[in-house]
Amino acid sequence: MRRFSWIVTFLAVLVFIFGSVISSTAGEIKVGLMGPMTGAWASEGQEMKQVLELLVEETNNQGGVNGQKIKLIVEDDGSDPRTAALAAQRLVTQGIVGVIGTYGSSVTEATQNIYDEAKVIQIANGSTAIRLTEKGLKYFFRTCPRDDEQARVAVKAIKNLGFHTIAILHDNTTYAKGLAEEAKRLLEKDDTVKIVFFDALTPGEQDYTAILTKLKGANPDAVFFTGYYPEAGLLLRQKKEMGWDVPFIGGDATNNPDLTKIAGADAAAGFYFVSAPLPKDLPGEEAKKFLEKFAKKYGNPPNSIYSVLAGDGFRVLVKAIEVTKSTDPDVLADYLHNKLKDFPGLTGKISFNEKGDRVGEVYRVYRVNEKGEFILLP
Amino acid sequence: MAEFLQQFVNGLAVGGIYALIALGYTMVYGVLKLINFAHGDLFTIGAYLGLTLLTSFGLADRVGPGVAVLLLVVMVMGFVAVIGIILERVAYRPLRNSPRLSAVVSALGASIFFQNAVMLIYGARFRVYPQNLLPKISLNLLGIYIPLVKILVLVVCVIMMVGLYLFIQRTTIGTAIRAAAIDQEAARLVGINVDGVITLVFIIGPALGGLAGLMVGILYGQIKFTMGWIYGLKAFTAAILGGIGNIPGAMLGGLILGVVEALGSAYISIAWKDAIAFCVLILILVVKPTGLLGERVAEKV
Repeated sequence: MRRFSWIVTFLAVLVFIFGSVISSTAGEIKVGLMGPMTGAWASEGQEMKQVLELLVEETNNQGGVNGQKIKLIVEDDGSDPRTAALAAQRLVTQGIVGVIGTYGSSVTEATQNIYDEAKVIQIANGSTAIRLTEKGLKYFFRTCPRDDEQARVAVKAIKNLGFHTIAILHDNTTYAKGLAEEAKRLLEKDDTVKIVFFDALTPGEQDYTAILTKLKGANPDAVFFTGYYPEAGLLLRQKKEMGWDVPFIGGDATNNPDLTKIAGADAAAGFYFVSAPLPKDLPGEEAKKFLEKFAKKYGNPPNSIYSVLAGDGFRVLVKAIEVTKSTDPDVLADYLHNKLKDFPGLTGKISFNEKGDRVGEVYRVYRVNEKGEFILLP
Repeated sequence: MAEFLQQFVNGLAVGGIYALIALGYTMVYGVLKLINFAHGDLFTIGAYLGLTLLTSFGLADRVGPGVAVLLLVVMVMGFVAVIGIILERVAYRPLRNSPRLSAVVSALGASIFFQNAVMLIYGARFRVYPQNLLPKISLNLLGIYIPLVKILVLVVCVIMMVGLYLFIQRTTIGTAIRAAAIDQEAARLVGINVDGVITLVFIIGPALGGLAGLMVGILYGQIKFTMGWIYGLKAFTAAILGGIGNIPGAMLGGLILGVVEALGSAYISIAWKDAIAFCVLILILVVKPTGLLGERVAEKV
């Protein structure tokens, strides 16, 4: 009998402990952030985290969503598809409603099916590769535009700038290759511009003189490099050192102030790139207020538009939860696909189409001036 | 023809850096039969230390660029050597008598530790060396453009390699290193301080690796905490190509790898550059499994 009462007491304690755990988590909505905290794109990921932490803090200070606090769970995708798949699996076991991220298209692609099977809303912030939204995944969205839109704007810019022969260089990542091939397809339909060179470099190296020497041999009017800013910076610098004076055009992955630091202002001058507007050029009051708050908290404004786009992903998710008063992924997905119209995001108005792509014109053309500043072309 | 020579020169400049890092791999392997996977990260540390010393003391403004670079070379080599000694004490010496696999795992762990330590200390973003540290003069020989800095880097690489070769071949200490490489027990029996030799190897190898990091910083300007991985991999390949454990082999392997990469990207495909380089490696290893100069298996280093 005595033993029996011990067991009862023990069970009672167990119930008490677990009960309190359950009741303390019941008031929370968990949102995941999967971003590159380490690895090649760690600077992007760390800024994504700063943006989301700021927004979560703000939302919770205003009483949360429908009376529930938001809890952010951050997982590192390591800028690497394999690490990302593990991160995604860890996140879906933690009962998150949605996940924001991630930056690189090849990294996002490795995680799409994991979130889809777990019925978790995924809102990518920097993955612009076309095929990500061509798979018919119901719970996948992105706040950044697609590469075919980007290629269209880039091709238009190439024609407007009056170039007739063009070299296209990518870096074999899902994003850069997709953008390069789309631009190639558009240019081949056009008689005024001829492609004289099409190849890929290996990202992460330091010496691109061999590639530049070969490019120079093809003698193009301009070079369209679709890869990321570290390589773009080195290409510009080494091109300048070679004494080769050819204009370079970049895709939106070259949009980072570090580009000028790497290349040096004199080598970066005259570089064109196509991108969603920089944080500083964001229109609208929402953006201004946000940038001020960010600068106040972290001492400097955000460097990358993609971290701001991650913030937009978070804000539309919160909006969806708030309006539908639900955390059911089907309800939320339906809301985002069909009912969310012209949400005032930090990066402009946000609506999604049936594929989960963001609707509307986002891309602009920038030019780097002699001081190394990025100037929005009208 | 001009383009071929230009590409050849481009390749030599990269190859010199590979060779310098490869020396560190090959020396450690020669004496300990251990692939020091943390070597690439010592290279990264060299690059970051160089930047810190250069910018925080304003060296270039105080003593002029030439002296500043010389001072930097000495300081970076010294600091990285100290880190090399600590690495050997902490990560490798306790495993000296364990199976070789344990030491390799320890090396990988040390590599991850260093990489993340650099990220935590310096941040994940790119760091940039001051522009125009050395005058940007390019020589123009028959249409081949060669920046002066690259010639300087190549000359430094060659001096270091030849110096090391002579040191190993002609001095008593060098003989002791060679003896320890052949048979540690026998070397101990004839009165050689094997622990001392190993410490010395972990001074020379990391110092050269750190120097390579500094030169990459000065040459290309942009450094990142992950850069050690790709350079380490290439240098490791170069060491195997030349015959691991063999010092002239590491030099030759590095230069060949650099030139093959440059010519491969020029005449076949840029995207397949690494594949071409590794195909050459496989071909050479099929014909000569010990690597190009790796003949005397008994006498390494």
